[in-house]
Amino acid sequence: MPIFLNIIVPILIVAALAGIFAFCLSFLGDKLAVDRDARIDDIERNLAGANCGGCGYPGCAQFAEALFRGETELSRCNPTPPENKKNIAEILGMGAFESEQTVAVVHCAGGNRAADKYSYQGFGDCRTAEIIAGGSKACEYGCMGLCTCVHSCRNQSVSICKDTGVSVVDRENCTSCGACVAACPKKIIGRIPKTARLYIACSNLTKGKEVVNVCKVGCIACGKCEKGCPKGAITLADNLAAIDYNKCIGCMKCAADCPRGCILPIGDGVRRLEKVKAARAKKQQ
Amino acid sequence: MDYFIGIVSIVISGILTNNIVLNQSIGICPFLGVSKKTQSAVGMGLAVTFVITVSTSVCWLLYSLVLEPLDIGYLSTIAFILVIASLVQLLDIVLKKTSPTLYNSLGVYLALITTNCAVLGTANSAVILDSLDFFQSLMTGLSIGLGFTVALILMAGIREKQALYDVPRPFAGFPIALVTAGIMAMAFYGFSGLSFV
Repeated sequence: MPIFLNIIVPILIVAALAGIFAFCLSFLGDKLAVDRDARIDDIERNLAGANCGGCGYPGCAQFAEALFRGETELSRCNPTPPENKKNIAEILGMGAFESEQTVAVVHCAGGNRAADKYSYQGFGDCRTAEIIAGGSKACEYGCMGLCTCVHSCRNQSVSICKDTGVSVVDRENCTSCGACVAACPKKIIGRIPKTARLYIACSNLTKGKEVVNVCKVGCIACGKCEKGCPKGAITLADNLAAIDYNKCIGCMKCAADCPRGCILPIGDGVRRLEKVKAARAKKQQ
Repeated sequence: MDYFIGIVSIVISGILTNNIVLNQSIGICPFLGVSKKTQSAVGMGLAVTFVITVSTSVCWLLYSLVLEPLDIGYLSTIAFILVIASLVQLLDIVLKKTSPTLYNSLGVYLALITTNCAVLGTANSAVILDSLDFFQSLMTGLSIGLGFTVALILMAGIREKQALYDVPRPFAGFPIALVTAGIMAMAFYGFSGLSFV
């Protein structure tokens, strides 16, 4: 009998402990349940669930929350199929959502037109060069052209431009997977809508004078584009112009006006810019 | 005064001379798994520190108030596992409610800690093997957690740079990480001369 007690009693005590803990947990779990909007869960269910991190958030759950709070845009997510995106837009009350395709773009035009800090001849790529005094370019935000993005691309759609030494993204092949966006140690690769006709080819946030010292084609934040834009689609923030693609009509005035040539045409913007330039040349004559 | 010196030696031994990862080889799994990025190493380290401190104190209370009086001290391992697992769940719930910022930085790692041997090992050694008092156990938990964080951050710093080096292919990945951990452990062995007693 004592042996029996010696076995049963401890078991009962431990079981009682477990019961107390379980009760506390379930009680507190109910009491402290976070009132999370059910719509966030709905959004998360509609997302692809790949947790690829291409949107810039750690995973789909965080992206869903950010979407709900309106901090990010749906177009940042690429793996989610269009019909699911439509569902999410409905949940968010955005009405008819045209699933917008994006492409990656390198926000830098410097390359060999930007000054070198030193000549990097070591092993590796941009990430290794970045360790040594913040990269081989004098511009802190400049593309070093050492091919980290080129190697990261699964579709071979990033290459180094032979003329300028800056990496460029082939719009036709780019699936906007975000691999290059994440790989670039300078964080100068971003995404723009596929319908965009121009982009800012500079990421330098320093003052105009410093930009002039390090690069021939960097944005000096002169404000010409901001003043000239008929739709108010360009704003200057942190010494850099930024385009609001929802407002931009692609008139290409800013690109023609830019004294530094760092607003570059893309896609059918190239043709449009030529037209604008030709019209201006005629006027002057 | 002796008591104070005892506390100081507990802290020194927890962080440096008796580092849980590098000297005792406990908690190797997160040490190798979550040490690829410094940022996540910091998050994991802080989460472990937090959990070790709280769980060691709670285990001390459980052991000296429940298990010893009932004469079932030999069941401490099972009881401690119960405590730690439910404590981590509890922390998860409480943090989510009270401090979303803290939850966002530590929350991902909390689930990983449920079965972390460093937590159980510390509770076991502080409460049972060394039979410390409550405050000493708490300080042991805190300093061992800090030691874990230090080791994890150092390792993450090294591995972040290592990822860019031209490591010979047979060594790439985990092998070189283990070699690094071994060399770090040897370096930490140098601290064993530090003693206050």
